[in-house]
Amino acid sequence: MRKYAVIYRSVLMENLQYAMNIAFGFISYFIFIYVFICLWNYMYASPEELIAGYTKEQMIWYVMITEGMWFGTRSGTVTRQAATDIRNGNIAYLMNKPYHYTLYILTKYTAEWGIRLPMYAALSISMGLTMVGRLPGFRLVSLLATLPVILLGITINAVFKLCISLISFWIEDSNPFQWIYDKLILVIGTIFPVEIFPAALQPVFRLTPIYTVCYGPAKLVVDFSWEKFLEIVAAQIIYLAVGCGLMFFLYGKGVKKLHVNGG
Amino acid sequence: MNVIETENLSKTFRVKQKEKGIAGSMRSIFHPQTQEIPAVNHISFQVEEGEMLAFIGPNGAGKSTTIKMLTGILYPDGGRAEVLGLDPSRKRKQLAYKIGTVFGQKEQLWTHLTPYDNFRFFSAVYDLPDREAEARIQELSDTFELSGFINTPVRNLSLGQRIRCEIVASLIHRPRILFLDEPTIGLDPVVKENIRSLIRQMNRELHTTIFLTSHDIGDIEKLCKRIIIVNNGQIVLDDSMSHLKYHYLNRKILEIKQQEETPLPSAKGITVLKQNGSHIKLEVDTGIIRINDALRLINAEHVEDITISNVPLENIITEIYKSADIGA
Repeated sequence: MRKYAVIYRSVLMENLQYAMNIAFGFISYFIFIYVFICLWNYMYASPEELIAGYTKEQMIWYVMITEGMWFGTRSGTVTRQAATDIRNGNIAYLMNKPYHYTLYILTKYTAEWGIRLPMYAALSISMGLTMVGRLPGFRLVSLLATLPVILLGITINAVFKLCISLISFWIEDSNPFQWIYDKLILVIGTIFPVEIFPAALQPVFRLTPIYTVCYGPAKLVVDFSWEKFLEIVAAQIIYLAVGCGLMFFLYGKGVKKLHVNGG
Repeated sequence: MNVIETENLSKTFRVKQKEKGIAGSMRSIFHPQTQEIPAVNHISFQVEEGEMLAFIGPNGAGKSTTIKMLTGILYPDGGRAEVLGLDPSRKRKQLAYKIGTVFGQKEQLWTHLTPYDNFRFFSAVYDLPDREAEARIQELSDTFELSGFINTPVRNLSLGQRIRCEIVASLIHRPRILFLDEPTIGLDPVVKENIRSLIRQMNRELHTTIFLTSHDIGDIEKLCKRIIIVNNGQIVLDDSMSHLKYHYLNRKILEIKQQEETPLPSAKGITVLKQNGSHIKLEVDTGIIRINDALRLINAEHVEDITISNVPLENIITEIYKSADIGA
Protein backbone atom coordinates (compact mmCIF):
# COMPACT_ATOMS: atom_id res chain seq x y z
CA MET A 1 0.00 0.00 0.00
CA ARG A 2 2.96 2.31 0.68
CA LYS A 3 3.77 2.59 -3.02
CA TYR A 4 0.21 3.68 -3.82
CA ALA A 5 0.40 6.26 -1.03
CA VAL A 6 3.59 7.59 -2.65
CA ILE A 7 1.91 7.67 -6.09
CA TYR A 8 -0.94 9.63 -4.46
CA ARG A 9 1.50 12.06 -2.84
CA SER A 10 3.48 12.55 -6.07
CA VAL A 11 0.36 13.32 -8.13
CA LEU A 12 -0.84 15.65 -5.40
CA MET A 13 2.51 17.50 -5.50
CA GLU A 14 2.33 17.68 -9.28
CA ASN A 15 -1.25 18.91 -9.38
CA LEU A 16 -0.86 21.50 -6.66
CA GLN A 17 0.87 23.55 -9.32
CA TYR A 18 -2.39 23.68 -11.23
CA ALA A 19 -4.59 24.98 -8.40
CA MET A 20 -5.11 28.26 -10.28
CA ASN A 21 -6.13 26.40 -13.45
CA ILE A 22 -8.72 24.49 -11.43
CA ALA A 23 -10.07 27.77 -10.10
CA PHE A 24 -10.75 28.93 -13.67
CA GLY A 25 -13.16 26.01 -14.01
CA PHE A 26 -15.30 27.67 -11.32
CA ILE A 27 -16.70 30.02 -13.97
CA SER A 28 -18.52 27.28 -15.90
CA TYR A 29 -19.71 25.68 -12.65
CA PHE A 30 -21.09 29.04 -11.49
CA ILE A 31 -22.96 29.60 -14.79
CA PHE A 32 -24.34 26.07 -14.74
CA ILE A 33 -25.65 26.35 -11.19
CA TYR A 34 -27.03 29.83 -11.79
CA VAL A 35 -29.09 28.52 -14.74
CA PHE A 36 -30.44 25.69 -12.58
CA ILE A 37 -31.32 28.02 -9.72
CA CYS A 38 -33.31 30.16 -12.20
CA LEU A 39 -34.93 27.05 -13.69
CA TRP A 40 -36.08 25.59 -10.36
CA ASN A 41 -37.18 29.02 -9.10
CA TYR A 42 -39.44 29.15 -12.16
CA MET A 43 -40.63 25.53 -11.79
CA TYR A 44 -41.62 25.84 -8.14
CA ALA A 45 -44.80 27.96 -7.98
CA SER A 46 -44.64 28.33 -4.21
CA PRO A 47 -41.89 27.69 -1.59
CA GLU A 48 -43.95 24.89 0.02
CA GLU A 49 -44.52 22.97 -3.19
CA LEU A 50 -42.92 19.54 -3.58
CA ILE A 51 -41.71 18.13 -6.89
CA ALA A 52 -40.98 14.39 -6.82
CA GLY A 53 -40.81 14.68 -3.04
CA TYR A 54 -38.19 17.48 -3.01
CA THR A 55 -38.62 21.03 -1.75
CA LYS A 56 -37.11 23.80 -3.87
CA GLU A 57 -34.10 24.14 -1.53
CA GLN A 58 -33.54 20.38 -1.51
CA MET A 59 -33.76 20.24 -5.31
CA ILE A 60 -31.25 23.06 -5.83
CA TRP A 61 -28.86 21.71 -3.17
CA TYR A 62 -29.18 18.27 -4.79
CA VAL A 63 -28.06 19.67 -8.15
CA MET A 64 -25.28 21.69 -6.55
CA ILE A 65 -23.92 18.60 -4.76
CA THR A 66 -24.06 16.31 -7.80
CA GLU A 67 -22.65 19.00 -10.10
CA GLY A 68 -19.94 19.75 -7.54
CA MET A 69 -19.01 16.05 -7.61
CA TRP A 70 -19.15 16.06 -11.42
CA PHE A 71 -16.92 19.11 -11.85
CA GLY A 72 -14.69 18.23 -8.88
CA THR A 73 -13.83 14.76 -10.20
CA ARG A 74 -13.57 15.62 -13.88
CA SER A 75 -10.32 14.25 -15.30
CA GLY A 76 -9.16 12.41 -18.39
CA THR A 77 -6.92 10.03 -16.41
CA VAL A 78 -9.34 7.10 -16.19
CA THR A 79 -10.98 7.81 -19.53
CA ARG A 80 -9.11 9.46 -22.40
CA GLN A 81 -5.63 8.96 -20.96
CA ALA A 82 -6.05 5.27 -20.10
CA ALA A 83 -7.65 4.52 -23.48
CA THR A 84 -4.89 6.40 -25.33
CA ASP A 85 -2.20 4.59 -23.32
CA ILE A 86 -3.67 1.28 -24.47
CA ARG A 87 -4.16 2.30 -28.09
CA ASN A 88 -0.74 3.83 -28.66
CA GLY A 89 1.13 1.27 -26.55
CA ASN A 90 2.28 3.75 -23.92
CA ILE A 91 0.85 1.37 -21.33
CA ALA A 92 3.92 -0.81 -21.97
CA TYR A 93 6.08 1.76 -20.22
CA LEU A 94 3.74 2.01 -17.25
CA MET A 95 3.13 -1.66 -16.58
CA ASN A 96 6.75 -2.75 -16.32
CA LYS A 97 6.93 -1.52 -12.75
CA PRO A 98 6.04 -3.54 -9.65
CA TYR A 99 2.55 -2.10 -9.24
CA HIS A 100 -0.79 -2.96 -10.74
CA TYR A 101 -1.52 -0.65 -13.68
CA THR A 102 -5.24 -0.24 -12.88
CA LEU A 103 -4.56 0.61 -9.24
CA TYR A 104 -1.84 3.01 -10.37
CA ILE A 105 -4.34 4.82 -12.62
CA LEU A 106 -7.03 4.86 -9.92
CA THR A 107 -4.55 6.23 -7.37
CA LYS A 108 -3.47 8.94 -9.80
CA TYR A 109 -7.09 9.85 -10.42
CA THR A 110 -7.88 9.90 -6.69
CA ALA A 111 -5.00 12.29 -6.07
CA GLU A 112 -6.27 14.54 -8.88
CA TRP A 113 -9.74 14.89 -7.42
CA GLY A 114 -8.17 15.08 -3.97
CA ILE A 115 -7.33 18.67 -4.87
CA ARG A 116 -10.25 19.56 -7.15
CA LEU A 117 -13.14 18.21 -5.10
CA PRO A 118 -12.46 20.15 -1.87
CA MET A 119 -12.17 23.33 -3.95
CA TYR A 120 -15.52 22.66 -5.64
CA ALA A 121 -17.07 21.63 -2.31
CA ALA A 122 -16.06 24.98 -0.82
CA LEU A 123 -17.49 26.80 -3.83
CA SER A 124 -20.75 24.79 -3.73
CA ILE A 125 -21.27 25.48 -0.03
CA SER A 126 -20.55 29.20 -0.45
CA MET A 127 -22.87 29.50 -3.44
CA GLY A 128 -25.59 27.44 -1.76
CA LEU A 129 -25.56 29.45 1.45
CA THR A 130 -25.58 32.81 -0.31
CA MET A 131 -27.95 32.05 -3.20
CA VAL A 132 -30.30 29.38 -1.80
CA GLY A 133 -30.02 29.48 1.98
CA ARG A 134 -29.57 26.72 4.55
CA LEU A 135 -30.79 23.25 3.72
CA PRO A 136 -33.92 22.54 5.78
CA GLY A 137 -33.43 19.77 8.37
CA PHE A 138 -29.70 19.56 7.67
CA ARG A 139 -27.53 18.02 10.40
CA LEU A 140 -23.75 17.99 10.40
CA VAL A 141 -23.69 14.37 11.57
CA SER A 142 -25.56 13.29 8.44
CA LEU A 143 -22.94 15.04 6.27
CA LEU A 144 -20.15 13.22 8.13
CA ALA A 145 -21.95 9.90 7.61
CA THR A 146 -22.40 10.75 3.92
CA LEU A 147 -18.69 11.52 3.30
CA PRO A 148 -17.65 7.85 2.88
CA VAL A 149 -20.68 7.36 0.62
CA ILE A 150 -19.47 10.25 -1.57
CA LEU A 151 -15.95 8.78 -1.71
CA LEU A 152 -17.32 5.33 -2.57
CA GLY A 153 -19.56 6.85 -5.26
CA ILE A 154 -16.61 8.61 -6.90
CA THR A 155 -14.51 5.44 -6.74
CA ILE A 156 -17.25 3.28 -8.28
CA ASN A 157 -17.65 5.82 -11.07
CA ALA A 158 -13.87 5.77 -11.72
CA VAL A 159 -13.77 1.96 -11.74
CA PHE A 160 -16.58 1.73 -14.30
CA LYS A 161 -15.03 4.46 -16.46
CA LEU A 162 -11.70 2.62 -16.35
CA CYS A 163 -13.50 -0.61 -17.32
CA ILE A 164 -14.86 1.19 -20.41
CA SER A 165 -11.34 2.46 -21.23
CA LEU A 166 -9.97 -1.08 -20.90
CA ILE A 167 -12.26 -2.14 -23.77
CA SER A 168 -9.68 -0.31 -25.93
CA PHE A 169 -7.65 -3.52 -25.82
CA TRP A 170 -10.24 -4.94 -28.25
CA ILE A 171 -11.80 -1.97 -30.06
CA GLU A 172 -10.32 1.05 -31.79
CA ASP A 173 -12.13 3.71 -29.82
CA SER A 174 -13.89 3.43 -26.47
CA ASN A 175 -14.86 7.11 -26.36
CA PRO A 176 -18.43 6.57 -27.70
CA PHE A 177 -19.13 4.17 -24.82
CA GLN A 178 -17.59 6.64 -22.41
CA TRP A 179 -19.83 9.35 -23.83
CA ILE A 180 -23.00 7.24 -23.40
CA TYR A 181 -22.07 6.34 -19.81
CA ASP A 182 -21.26 9.98 -18.99
CA LYS A 183 -24.52 11.27 -20.39
CA LEU A 184 -26.55 8.63 -18.55
CA ILE A 185 -24.89 9.63 -15.30
CA LEU A 186 -25.39 13.30 -16.11
CA VAL A 187 -29.10 13.09 -16.95
CA ILE A 188 -30.15 10.35 -14.54
CA GLY A 189 -28.95 11.26 -11.11
CA THR A 190 -26.84 14.37 -11.66
CA ILE A 191 -29.08 17.03 -13.17
CA PHE A 192 -32.29 15.34 -12.04
CA PRO A 193 -32.84 12.97 -9.13
CA VAL A 194 -34.14 9.50 -9.94
CA GLU A 195 -37.61 10.38 -8.51
CA ILE A 196 -38.22 12.85 -11.37
CA PHE A 197 -38.38 10.03 -13.90
CA PRO A 198 -41.49 7.87 -14.59
CA ALA A 199 -42.26 5.40 -11.82
CA ALA A 200 -41.84 2.46 -14.19
CA LEU A 201 -38.20 3.42 -14.90
CA GLN A 202 -37.14 4.12 -11.32
CA PRO A 203 -36.63 0.47 -10.28
CA VAL A 204 -34.45 -0.01 -13.38
CA PHE A 205 -32.32 3.02 -12.49
CA ARG A 206 -31.95 1.74 -8.92
CA LEU A 207 -30.32 -1.38 -10.30
CA THR A 208 -27.68 0.55 -12.24
CA PRO A 209 -24.41 1.98 -10.88
CA ILE A 210 -25.93 5.46 -11.42
CA TYR A 211 -27.90 4.92 -8.21
CA THR A 212 -24.69 4.55 -6.21
CA VAL A 213 -22.51 7.09 -8.02
CA CYS A 214 -24.22 10.45 -7.55
CA TYR A 215 -27.88 9.99 -6.72
CA GLY A 216 -27.18 8.06 -3.49
CA PRO A 217 -24.64 10.48 -1.96
CA ALA A 218 -26.61 13.62 -2.92
CA LYS A 219 -29.91 12.17 -1.71
CA LEU A 220 -28.33 11.42 1.68
CA VAL A 221 -27.06 15.00 2.04
CA VAL A 222 -30.45 16.60 1.28
CA ASP A 223 -32.66 14.01 2.99
CA PHE A 224 -30.68 11.76 5.31
CA SER A 225 -32.08 8.58 6.85
CA TRP A 226 -30.16 5.63 8.28
CA GLU A 227 -32.36 3.25 6.36
CA LYS A 228 -31.44 4.95 3.08
CA PHE A 229 -27.81 5.14 4.19
CA LEU A 230 -27.56 1.37 4.72
CA GLU A 231 -29.37 0.65 1.47
CA ILE A 232 -27.00 2.86 -0.54
CA VAL A 233 -23.81 1.63 1.20
CA ALA A 234 -24.84 -2.00 0.60
CA ALA A 235 -25.46 -1.25 -3.07
CA GLN A 236 -22.11 0.59 -3.27
CA ILE A 237 -20.19 -2.34 -1.78
CA ILE A 238 -21.80 -4.72 -4.30
CA TYR A 239 -21.06 -2.39 -7.23
CA LEU A 240 -17.50 -1.76 -6.09
CA ALA A 241 -16.87 -5.52 -5.85
CA VAL A 242 -18.49 -6.16 -9.25
CA GLY A 243 -16.67 -3.19 -10.83
CA CYS A 244 -13.25 -4.17 -9.45
CA GLY A 245 -13.79 -7.80 -10.48
CA LEU A 246 -14.68 -6.65 -13.99
CA MET A 247 -11.72 -4.25 -14.08
CA PHE A 248 -9.16 -6.90 -13.08
CA PHE A 249 -10.74 -9.41 -15.48
CA LEU A 250 -10.66 -7.00 -18.45
CA TYR A 251 -7.10 -5.93 -17.67
CA GLY A 252 -5.90 -9.51 -17.23
CA LYS A 253 -7.45 -10.58 -20.52
CA GLY A 254 -6.62 -7.41 -22.42
CA VAL A 255 -2.98 -7.20 -21.51
CA LYS A 256 -2.39 -10.51 -23.27
CA LYS A 257 -3.65 -8.89 -26.46
CA LEU A 258 -1.44 -5.84 -26.11
CA HIS A 259 0.04 -4.71 -29.40
CA VAL A 260 2.79 -2.16 -29.04
CA ASN A 261 3.54 -0.16 -32.14
CA GLY A 262 6.98 1.16 -32.93
CA GLY A 263 8.99 -1.85 -31.92
CA MET B 1 25.54 -18.33 -15.42
CA ASN B 2 22.85 -17.39 -17.94
CA VAL B 3 20.58 -14.56 -16.88
CA ILE B 4 18.55 -14.54 -20.10
CA GLU B 5 17.51 -17.59 -22.09
CA THR B 6 15.17 -17.72 -25.05
CA GLU B 7 14.21 -20.72 -27.10
CA ASN B 8 12.22 -20.35 -30.33
CA LEU B 9 10.69 -17.16 -28.98
CA SER B 10 8.01 -15.88 -31.36
CA LYS B 11 5.50 -13.09 -31.58
CA THR B 12 3.08 -12.37 -34.39
CA PHE B 13 1.07 -9.19 -34.70
CA ARG B 14 -2.28 -9.12 -36.44
CA VAL B 15 -2.48 -5.87 -38.37
CA LYS B 16 -5.66 -4.48 -39.90
CA GLN B 17 -5.68 -4.10 -43.66
CA LYS B 18 -7.92 -1.79 -45.64
CA GLU B 19 -8.43 -1.44 -49.36
CA LYS B 20 -7.95 2.04 -50.75
CA GLY B 21 -10.67 4.66 -51.05
CA ILE B 22 -14.09 5.11 -49.46
CA ALA B 23 -15.38 1.86 -50.97
CA GLY B 24 -12.49 0.05 -49.29
CA SER B 25 -13.30 1.73 -46.00
CA MET B 26 -16.96 0.65 -46.28
CA ARG B 27 -15.96 -2.92 -47.15
CA SER B 28 -13.61 -3.08 -44.18
CA ILE B 29 -16.55 -2.36 -41.83
CA PHE B 30 -18.39 -5.50 -42.91
CA HIS B 31 -15.43 -7.66 -43.92
CA PRO B 32 -12.49 -6.59 -41.76
CA GLN B 33 -9.26 -8.02 -43.06
CA THR B 34 -6.13 -8.59 -41.08
CA GLN B 35 -2.64 -9.63 -41.94
CA GLU B 36 -0.39 -11.60 -39.66
CA ILE B 37 3.08 -10.16 -39.36
CA PRO B 38 5.70 -12.25 -37.58
CA ALA B 39 7.59 -9.63 -35.54
CA VAL B 40 9.82 -12.18 -33.82
CA ASN B 41 10.29 -15.52 -35.46
CA HIS B 42 11.75 -18.41 -33.43
CA ILE B 43 14.74 -16.70 -31.93
CA SER B 44 16.99 -18.47 -29.44
CA PHE B 45 19.92 -17.03 -27.52
CA GLN B 46 21.47 -16.87 -24.06
CA VAL B 47 23.05 -13.99 -22.18
CA GLU B 48 25.50 -14.51 -19.35
CA GLU B 49 25.57 -12.48 -16.17
CA GLY B 50 27.69 -9.33 -16.53
CA GLU B 51 27.67 -9.40 -20.34
CA MET B 52 27.26 -6.23 -22.40
CA LEU B 53 25.21 -7.25 -25.38
CA ALA B 54 24.18 -5.20 -28.40
CA PHE B 55 20.88 -6.40 -29.82
CA ILE B 56 20.54 -4.52 -33.06
CA GLY B 57 18.71 -4.51 -36.35
CA PRO B 58 16.95 -2.19 -38.78
CA ASN B 59 13.59 -0.62 -37.95
CA GLY B 60 10.89 -3.26 -37.65
CA ALA B 61 13.41 -6.07 -37.18
CA GLY B 62 11.87 -7.20 -33.89
CA LYS B 63 14.38 -5.80 -31.37
CA SER B 64 12.00 -3.84 -29.19
CA THR B 65 9.36 -6.57 -29.41
CA THR B 66 11.97 -8.97 -28.04
CA ILE B 67 12.86 -6.56 -25.22
CA LYS B 68 9.18 -6.17 -24.41
CA MET B 69 8.75 -9.93 -24.23
CA LEU B 70 11.84 -10.23 -22.02
CA THR B 71 10.51 -7.58 -19.65
CA GLY B 72 7.04 -9.17 -19.50
CA ILE B 73 5.22 -6.40 -21.34
CA LEU B 74 4.26 -8.56 -24.32
CA TYR B 75 3.11 -12.16 -24.21
CA PRO B 76 4.97 -14.45 -26.62
CA ASP B 77 2.90 -16.48 -29.08
CA GLY B 78 5.37 -19.32 -29.03
CA GLY B 79 8.64 -20.49 -27.60
CA ARG B 80 10.09 -19.86 -24.19
CA ALA B 81 11.78 -16.95 -22.42
CA GLU B 82 13.40 -16.99 -19.02
CA VAL B 83 14.95 -13.96 -17.37
CA LEU B 84 16.77 -14.50 -14.07
CA GLY B 85 14.99 -17.81 -13.79
CA LEU B 86 11.52 -16.26 -14.18
CA ASP B 87 8.97 -16.44 -16.97
CA PRO B 88 8.60 -12.70 -17.77
CA SER B 89 4.96 -12.78 -18.85
CA ARG B 90 3.81 -14.82 -15.85
CA LYS B 91 6.02 -13.20 -13.21
CA ARG B 92 6.19 -9.65 -14.54
CA LYS B 93 5.82 -7.96 -11.15
CA GLN B 94 8.39 -10.23 -9.48
CA LEU B 95 10.80 -9.68 -12.38
CA ALA B 96 10.34 -5.90 -12.27
CA TYR B 97 12.22 -5.83 -8.93
CA LYS B 98 15.25 -7.41 -10.60
CA ILE B 99 15.50 -5.58 -13.91
CA GLY B 100 15.70 -1.97 -15.03
CA THR B 101 14.54 -0.48 -18.31
CA VAL B 102 15.43 2.75 -20.08
CA PHE B 103 13.53 3.61 -23.24
CA GLY B 104 15.31 6.60 -24.75
CA GLN B 105 12.20 7.71 -26.60
CA LYS B 106 9.83 7.44 -23.63
CA GLU B 107 9.99 9.34 -20.39
CA GLN B 108 9.39 7.45 -17.19
CA LEU B 109 10.15 10.43 -14.96
CA TRP B 110 7.38 12.72 -13.77
CA THR B 111 8.25 15.95 -15.52
CA HIS B 112 6.76 18.35 -12.96
CA LEU B 113 8.68 16.78 -10.10
CA THR B 114 12.38 17.17 -9.37
CA PRO B 115 14.78 14.26 -10.00
CA TYR B 116 15.03 13.82 -6.22
CA ASP B 117 11.24 13.49 -5.81
CA ASN B 118 11.20 11.11 -8.77
CA PHE B 119 13.90 8.95 -7.19
CA ARG B 120 11.98 8.86 -3.91
CA PHE B 121 8.90 7.86 -5.89
CA PHE B 122 10.71 5.00 -7.67
CA SER B 123 12.33 3.92 -4.38
CA ALA B 124 8.85 3.52 -2.89
CA VAL B 125 7.58 1.71 -5.98
CA TYR B 126 10.43 -0.77 -5.57
CA ASP B 127 9.79 -1.06 -1.79
CA LEU B 128 13.12 0.39 -0.70
CA PRO B 129 13.16 1.45 2.97
CA ASP B 130 13.57 5.24 3.46
CA ARG B 131 17.12 5.10 4.82
CA GLU B 132 18.32 2.78 2.06
CA ALA B 133 16.60 4.94 -0.57
CA GLU B 134 18.31 8.06 0.71
CA ALA B 135 21.72 6.37 0.67
CA ARG B 136 21.12 4.96 -2.81
CA ILE B 137 20.05 8.35 -4.21
CA GLN B 138 23.18 9.94 -2.74
CA GLU B 139 25.39 7.19 -4.18
CA LEU B 140 23.87 7.42 -7.68
CA SER B 141 23.78 11.20 -7.59
CA ASP B 142 27.55 11.19 -6.94
CA THR B 143 28.26 8.60 -9.64
CA PHE B 144 26.12 10.31 -12.27
CA GLU B 145 27.02 13.84 -11.09
CA LEU B 146 23.45 15.00 -10.54
CA SER B 147 24.03 17.31 -7.58
CA GLY B 148 23.80 20.46 -9.72
CA PHE B 149 20.24 19.79 -10.85
CA ILE B 150 18.77 17.17 -8.53
CA ASN B 151 16.27 19.72 -7.19
CA THR B 152 15.30 21.23 -10.56
CA PRO B 153 11.97 20.08 -12.05
CA VAL B 154 12.61 17.49 -14.76
CA ARG B 155 10.80 19.59 -17.38
CA ASN B 156 13.55 22.23 -17.04
CA LEU B 157 16.46 19.81 -17.57
CA SER B 158 18.43 19.39 -20.77
CA LEU B 159 18.03 16.11 -22.69
CA GLY B 160 21.42 14.84 -21.48
CA GLN B 161 20.58 15.61 -17.86
CA ARG B 162 17.20 13.97 -18.25
CA ILE B 163 18.65 10.76 -19.71
CA ARG B 164 21.12 10.57 -16.81
CA CYS B 165 18.18 10.88 -14.42
CA GLU B 166 16.23 8.24 -16.40
CA ILE B 167 19.13 5.82 -16.00
CA VAL B 168 19.43 6.59 -12.29
CA ALA B 169 15.68 5.99 -11.85
CA SER B 170 16.15 2.58 -13.48
CA LEU B 171 19.05 1.73 -11.20
CA ILE B 172 17.53 2.78 -7.91
CA HIS B 173 16.59 -0.80 -6.99
CA ARG B 174 19.97 -2.29 -8.00
CA PRO B 175 18.70 -4.28 -11.02
CA ARG B 176 20.78 -7.22 -12.17
CA ILE B 177 19.92 -6.60 -15.82
CA LEU B 178 19.49 -3.22 -17.46
CA PHE B 179 17.58 -3.08 -20.75
CA LEU B 180 18.58 0.02 -22.68
CA ASP B 181 16.50 0.85 -25.72
CA GLU B 182 18.22 3.66 -27.64
CA PRO B 183 19.57 5.36 -24.51
CA THR B 184 21.63 7.98 -26.36
CA ILE B 185 19.10 9.00 -28.99
CA GLY B 186 19.20 12.75 -29.66
CA LEU B 187 22.21 13.42 -27.44
CA ASP B 188 25.27 15.41 -28.47
CA PRO B 189 28.62 13.54 -28.79
CA VAL B 190 29.98 14.77 -25.44
CA VAL B 191 26.90 13.69 -23.47
CA LYS B 192 26.80 10.40 -25.40
CA GLU B 193 30.35 9.65 -24.36
CA ASN B 194 29.53 10.57 -20.79
CA ILE B 195 26.52 8.21 -20.73
CA ARG B 196 28.57 5.41 -22.29
CA SER B 197 31.32 5.77 -19.71
CA LEU B 198 28.71 5.63 -16.91
CA ILE B 199 27.21 2.47 -18.39
CA ARG B 200 30.68 0.90 -18.62
CA GLN B 201 31.41 1.88 -15.02
CA MET B 202 28.11 0.39 -13.86
CA ASN B 203 28.87 -2.87 -15.64
CA ARG B 204 32.40 -3.03 -14.26
CA GLU B 205 31.62 -2.09 -10.66
CA LEU B 206 28.17 -3.59 -10.15
CA HIS B 207 28.45 -6.42 -12.67
CA THR B 208 25.12 -5.33 -14.15
CA THR B 209 24.20 -7.16 -17.35
CA ILE B 210 23.56 -4.68 -20.16
CA PHE B 211 21.11 -5.50 -22.95
CA LEU B 212 21.38 -2.65 -25.42
CA THR B 213 19.49 -1.80 -28.57
CA SER B 214 20.68 1.21 -30.50
CA HIS B 215 21.06 2.52 -34.02
CA ASP B 216 24.16 4.39 -32.88
CA ILE B 217 27.19 2.42 -33.96
CA GLY B 218 29.29 4.32 -31.39
CA ASP B 219 27.16 2.88 -28.56
CA ILE B 220 27.62 -0.62 -29.91
CA GLU B 221 31.31 -0.33 -30.69
CA LYS B 222 32.30 1.37 -27.45
CA LEU B 223 30.12 -0.58 -25.04
CA CYS B 224 29.46 -4.09 -26.21
CA LYS B 225 31.61 -7.17 -26.44
CA ARG B 226 28.93 -9.24 -28.13
CA ILE B 227 26.51 -8.40 -30.90
CA ILE B 228 23.28 -10.03 -32.01
CA ILE B 229 21.84 -8.76 -35.27
CA VAL B 230 18.19 -9.41 -35.99
CA ASN B 231 16.32 -8.83 -39.19
CA ASN B 232 12.79 -9.81 -40.18
CA GLY B 233 12.32 -11.24 -36.70
CA GLN B 234 15.23 -13.67 -36.97
CA ILE B 235 18.78 -13.70 -35.70
CA VAL B 236 21.14 -13.21 -38.62
CA LEU B 237 24.34 -12.91 -36.63
CA ASP B 238 25.38 -13.71 -33.07
CA ASP B 239 29.08 -13.05 -32.62
CA SER B 240 31.65 -11.35 -30.46
CA MET B 241 32.50 -7.79 -31.45
CA SER B 242 36.19 -8.65 -31.85
CA HIS B 243 35.40 -11.60 -34.12
CA LEU B 244 33.01 -9.49 -36.17
CA LYS B 245 35.65 -6.84 -36.67
CA TYR B 246 38.35 -9.39 -37.47
CA HIS B 247 36.09 -11.16 -39.92
CA TYR B 248 34.93 -8.07 -41.73
CA LEU B 249 37.90 -5.77 -41.31
CA ASN B 250 40.00 -7.63 -43.85
CA ARG B 251 38.76 -4.93 -46.20
CA LYS B 252 40.55 -1.60 -46.20
CA ILE B 253 39.48 1.71 -47.64
CA LEU B 254 42.17 3.53 -49.64
CA GLU B 255 41.65 7.22 -50.29
CA ILE B 256 44.17 8.73 -52.67
CA LYS B 257 44.57 12.33 -53.72
CA GLN B 258 46.78 12.70 -56.82
CA GLN B 259 48.36 15.67 -58.56
CA GLU B 260 46.74 14.65 -61.82
CA GLU B 261 44.29 12.03 -63.05
CA THR B 262 45.96 8.64 -63.69
CA PRO B 263 44.59 5.28 -64.86
CA LEU B 264 42.76 3.42 -62.13
CA PRO B 265 44.55 0.42 -60.60
CA SER B 266 42.91 -2.79 -61.69
CA ALA B 267 43.32 -6.14 -59.98
CA LYS B 268 41.23 -8.83 -58.38
CA GLY B 269 40.28 -7.72 -54.87
CA ILE B 270 40.25 -3.99 -55.68
CA THR B 271 36.94 -2.23 -56.06
CA VAL B 272 36.66 1.41 -57.09
CA LEU B 273 34.15 3.02 -54.76
CA LYS B 274 34.38 6.57 -56.04
CA GLN B 275 36.36 8.64 -58.51
CA ASN B 276 36.26 12.39 -58.63
CA GLY B 277 38.97 13.61 -61.00
CA SER B 278 42.29 13.01 -59.31
CA HIS B 279 40.61 11.91 -56.08
CA ILE B 280 39.89 8.14 -55.89
CA LYS B 281 38.47 5.86 -53.23
CA LEU B 282 39.17 2.13 -53.40
CA GLU B 283 38.20 -0.88 -51.34
CA VAL B 284 40.89 -3.51 -51.03
CA ASP B 285 40.06 -7.04 -49.96
CA THR B 286 43.26 -8.04 -48.15
CA GLY B 287 42.17 -11.66 -48.26
CA ILE B 288 42.70 -11.54 -52.04
CA ILE B 289 45.40 -8.93 -52.49
CA ARG B 290 47.89 -7.65 -49.93
CA ILE B 291 47.68 -3.95 -49.17
CA ASN B 292 51.28 -3.30 -50.25
CA ASP B 293 50.61 -5.07 -53.56
CA ALA B 294 47.62 -2.82 -54.07
CA LEU B 295 49.75 0.24 -53.27
CA ARG B 296 52.31 -0.83 -55.87
CA LEU B 297 49.60 -0.53 -58.54
CA ILE B 298 49.33 3.18 -57.82
CA ASN B 299 51.74 5.58 -59.45
CA ALA B 300 53.57 6.88 -56.38
CA GLU B 301 55.03 9.89 -58.19
CA HIS B 302 51.63 11.53 -58.54
CA VAL B 303 50.35 10.80 -55.02
CA GLU B 304 49.74 13.94 -53.00
CA ASP B 305 48.03 12.34 -50.02
CA ILE B 306 46.94 8.83 -49.04
CA THR B 307 44.72 7.46 -46.25
CA ILE B 308 44.18 3.81 -45.31
CA SER B 309 41.26 3.04 -43.03
CA ASN B 310 39.04 0.20 -41.96
CA VAL B 311 35.56 -0.23 -43.37
CA PRO B 312 33.28 1.59 -40.87
CA LEU B 313 31.36 -0.76 -38.60
CA GLU B 314 28.21 1.00 -39.77
CA ASN B 315 28.84 -0.21 -43.33
CA ILE B 316 29.52 -3.74 -42.11
CA ILE B 317 26.26 -3.84 -40.23
CA THR B 318 24.32 -2.35 -43.15
CA GLU B 319 25.83 -5.04 -45.36
CA ILE B 320 24.72 -7.74 -42.93
CA TYR B 321 21.20 -6.28 -42.86
CA LYS B 322 21.11 -6.25 -46.65
CA SER B 323 22.45 -9.78 -47.03
CA ALA B 324 19.83 -10.96 -44.55
CA ASP B 325 17.13 -9.22 -46.59
CA ILE B 326 18.32 -10.98 -49.73
CA GLY B 327 18.39 -14.28 -47.85
CA ALA B 328 14.83 -13.71 -46.67
